[in-house]
Amino acid sequence: MEEIAYSVHPAIVTLVGALLGAGYFAFLRWQTQAGGLNISLGVGALAGVIGATLLTAPLGYCMFQADQKSEDIIIGWIAVLLGLMLTLNLFSMLLWRYFRGQRLLPRGDTTPGAFRGRFGLLYAMTVLSPTILVLVFFVYLPMVDTLRFSTFLARFGAPRTRFICVSNFSRMLADLDYHSNLFLSFALSFGIIIIAMSLALLIASMLNQPIVGANIYRTLLIWPYAISPLVAGVIFSLLLGTESGIVNRVLDLTLGVKVPWLVTVPAAQISVVLASVWNVIGFNILFYTAGLQTIPKDLLESASIDGAGAWQRFARITFPLLSPFTFFLIVTNTIYAFFDTFSLIFVLTRGGPTESTFTAMYRVYVTGILSSDIGKSTAQSLILFLIVVGITIFQFRVGQRRVQYGNY
Amino acid sequence: MFRRFVVILFVLTLALGTMVPALAQDVIELEAWVAFSDHRYDWAVDTADRFNALHDDINVTMLSVANYDTIVNNYTLGREDGAYPEIVQLFDAALQFAVDSNWFDFAEDIIAGRDEILGHPVDFDDIIPVISNYYTVDGVWASVAWNTSTPIMYYNVELLEQAGVMEMPRTWADILDACAALQPLVDDGTISACATWPFSPWFIEQWLAQQNEYMVNNENGRAGRATEFNLDTDAYRAIAEFYRELYSNGYFIYEGFDQWGPPTQSFTSGKVAIMMSSSAAARAISEGATATGFTLKTTGMAYNQDAPDGWVGNILGGATMYISNGLAPEVQDAAMAFLLFFSNTENSASWHTASGYVPVRNSSIELLKNLEPGNELLWDIPSGARVDIETNDWYAAFPNFLTASTQLGTSTVNNATRGSTYGTFQQSRPYYGGVVEEYMLNGGDLDAMIAETNAELTELLQEYNFLFADE
Amino acid sequence: MTESASSRFVFDPSANRSRPLWRRLIPQRWYAHLILTISVIVITFPMFYALLISTQSNPEVYNHKFTPGSRFFENLHTVMVQRNMGRFMLNSFVIALSIAVGKTVMSVLAGLGLVYFRYPGKWIVFGFVLVTLIMPGDVLLIALYRRVVSFDAWPHPYVALTLPLLASATGVFIFRQHFMTMPPDLSEAAQLDGASPLQFLFRVLIPLSWNTIGALMVIMFLFGWNQFLWPLILLRDQDLQVVQWGMQSLTQSLEVGDNFGPMMMGVIITSLPPMIVFLILQRQFMKGFALTRDK
Repeated sequence: MEEIAYSVHPAIVTLVGALLGAGYFAFLRWQTQAGGLNISLGVGALAGVIGATLLTAPLGYCMFQADQKSEDIIIGWIAVLLGLMLTLNLFSMLLWRYFRGQRLLPRGDTTPGAFRGRFGLLYAMTVLSPTILVLVFFVYLPMVDTLRFSTFLARFGAPRTRFICVSNFSRMLADLDYHSNLFLSFALSFGIIIIAMSLALLIASMLNQPIVGANIYRTLLIWPYAISPLVAGVIFSLLLGTESGIVNRVLDLTLGVKVPWLVTVPAAQISVVLASVWNVIGFNILFYTAGLQTIPKDLLESASIDGAGAWQRFARITFPLLSPFTFFLIVTNTIYAFFDTFSLIFVLTRGGPTESTFTAMYRVYVTGILSSDIGKSTAQSLILFLIVVGITIFQFRVGQRRVQYGNY
Repeated sequence: MFRRFVVILFVLTLALGTMVPALAQDVIELEAWVAFSDHRYDWAVDTADRFNALHDDINVTMLSVANYDTIVNNYTLGREDGAYPEIVQLFDAALQFAVDSNWFDFAEDIIAGRDEILGHPVDFDDIIPVISNYYTVDGVWASVAWNTSTPIMYYNVELLEQAGVMEMPRTWADILDACAALQPLVDDGTISACATWPFSPWFIEQWLAQQNEYMVNNENGRAGRATEFNLDTDAYRAIAEFYRELYSNGYFIYEGFDQWGPPTQSFTSGKVAIMMSSSAAARAISEGATATGFTLKTTGMAYNQDAPDGWVGNILGGATMYISNGLAPEVQDAAMAFLLFFSNTENSASWHTASGYVPVRNSSIELLKNLEPGNELLWDIPSGARVDIETNDWYAAFPNFLTASTQLGTSTVNNATRGSTYGTFQQSRPYYGGVVEEYMLNGGDLDAMIAETNAELTELLQEYNFLFADE
Repeated sequence: MTESASSRFVFDPSANRSRPLWRRLIPQRWYAHLILTISVIVITFPMFYALLISTQSNPEVYNHKFTPGSRFFENLHTVMVQRNMGRFMLNSFVIALSIAVGKTVMSVLAGLGLVYFRYPGKWIVFGFVLVTLIMPGDVLLIALYRRVVSFDAWPHPYVALTLPLLASATGVFIFRQHFMTMPPDLSEAAQLDGASPLQFLFRVLIPLSWNTIGALMVIMFLFGWNQFLWPLILLRDQDLQVVQWGMQSLTQSLEVGDNFGPMMMGVIITSLPPMIVFLILQRQFMKGFALTRDK
């Protein structure tokens, strides 16, 4: 058998994993002062070995082979790091539960009012099974099928594929265009979320006032939400054309100016943000109006009697009690802004001018669906997926602390 | 008695009703997928119905599959699970894919030298050469041409004359001169700018062909499989420079990458004097011009007067009909017969009037110039109905429709004007379009941008070749 | 609609009498009306502009005519008859309703399973469901198609179309949040009465959840209504196609010139069914909140 030459030998990778794992567990042991040091080190090393192997061994440590580029090696180490993050967290959680004398698995979170009885798991699995089965067969399996391609050079309809290790990923690492696509996704999403949510909250608070015609206002305000992102793009391209658009026509007649909405750099990005906000704001208004209904009126009244002004009541009572809704909307708006705006961008700007509205998901769409370049496209979507998972975990961490699940 | 008679009659009717279809079951069912879902689809359905009326034993069903990209994807998926049609419409950029996939039997191979198939004569002699040559692969005609177009220039005659431009511009220099002359009208607010057109990569492809230059190596992929991009040429640079000059002088309104609606709107509302667009838009633009009240004139697509060979010719754009392979001989013949009918002289002429796409045959043009009364050829686009125009020369009523046919008819046929063929056609368009866009808007180091994009596109092309080319 | 408005609008004659005449002449909470009016104008402007274009011919659109055009009925005819939009809307209505009902039922059940039982690893199940929220569905379509057609005994193409869409991370998330805000004594009381979890679900939880169900149905209906790429790949029979497919056929005529009137007519018409669903469920929405408050 031919000996494979490595620039970083798998043994070294495994050893690094073991050392990092042991080191991290020693740190945890020092921090918590619980449990035995030797067992911590041992389990830490084991977790490190598994973590370092998890994502690299299935690919045969190909990214560490001698013929790979330095970017591939970096991707290899990132894979090691991701694996470590997963296993070290998992093992440390289990080990320290053991140290503290707890059961290895938490006995379910202690939701007040849960049904007692021995068949909790069975019962729960029965009611959860439709959702889980559909997700396994129609989301997870296709996901696995798709992700297989992320390490391949693969084209839709091609008679063959070629294993190219992590080249699809390392190519992105070196691709400045892709970096700016990612940055743009963040920037545009941030703009969309901030504007769409704050405006929706303002409008919903006004709708929540006891005023005549609230139903009419609400219905009209939710109307644009009934439009798909693609069609929203069609409408906005009619509005925002430099010469052809009605907005510039009105501006020209009244102020004598024409704004090149879709073809100059900050304007095109602003237009995409505004069109997306317009498309999603009805959804936010719907939820905030629903949320405002749940706030007990007596609480607000008593605060009013205590002399709290409108702003104080909003900041001290309404907004904190709305936090579950805010949290939910942040998550869904993030997903909308990252994943659903590509068809709007396709119609409105084609990612232009000069790629200034070329978001990461738009690239996935162009590469995968329009150009059939499946390998690259799945690698890109995997990166995007990891990023949004990261954002969501972050939001959950922050959210868990801030969100007040109203136990009024 | 009467009741029994009724019962017998009823039973007989039932029996006949079940037997007759059983007797006539030898009908060959053909499915054809087309990428249109608007009035162009209506025409295809109507034509299929007329074909079905001619043949009791063949039934062609037209299915609309949304658009060019989706039809390729759906057909590819269909090949996996066996649910694919006998006939499929693929657009020009998918030519190489159609060849590489080995999923189609080429039209000329199916005909195999016959004069007629099921009574439909084979005659390809009067098809405009630059059209038939586009779809010729290794000397074999691959598919049957259907919707075909080419870019042409549209002028607002009154505006040009107001600026003292009496001759319609023909070259890039003419356009720049006309724009300089039109500048006073822009300054006093009569019009918004001199020119606008969709910023489409298709026009870049056309201008390369006009200058007798190749997009990819191996003579545009016509002399052998293309392996490298060929952007580092004077012709490509000249295109970028022309756009740059138009734009930086304020002559050209840029409405976004591959946006077709806004330029058409600006031009037809009389706010711009010069536009370039697909010949297939001629009808819509004529209508707009009439409604706004200006005289419309068309010429061939403007060309680079400084190109060494002058104007060589233009490429077509559009899509053609392919026949899936592995069909039984009688099914294959039925499909071929349908496509012969679909593209015959009368139907090409009818298609031209229904859609604005170029008639692929010279005989169709002759037919439209000498119409018989009571013919059923003519269509009207907006209403989607047959019309009876009181004329024997259709082009007298629609003079601007002849421009595209003339442009293609007078094109020299060579490997530049046959157009490029390579696997990553659709994927590459935003790249070579993007370089010109970037240079037009921001200037910069054109050579560096070309070198970078050329390398990127070559890499993509070689990846495609690696996966598709025969080993 | 009026009942919800009146229940919240507290008429207080004494407060009114003490106000000076000039204050009685401008509506109460004028600032709310002002902000809402401005919002409505800005937000619905694109829709009303679309409505205006839907009555016009192309030249009228090109010349920015600000008055209703001449082609309302022609455009309506083009959309509904020539482009068969009526049929597509009916199809989409069936699909969207199935999706909305299916998703809601499955989400309620899953919410029950995630809140009202004790078992280890609950967060794993929740995470398993929630992660799917982030998976870009459009990327998975081709793989999904292969999975779906590998099973060839679908009773109807719509079953193959809707079943893969029935699980909803959003719905599960919403019902989990909602059930967690329910007072625990509800289920304690139900358990004392010897009710089974399903009885508790039907007798207590669902009557208290109409608001959430209503809101979710609106979202899920719209999700179904806006399906485009998936039916595009899956459905081969044209008569089964969906409303977004019809919309694309109105917007596709890139190089031959757009037909703005029918296009915008399509936009307006296809936005109406989701709005009607919203208006119907809006009442439910308000009644549900009244119940929650009475507890």
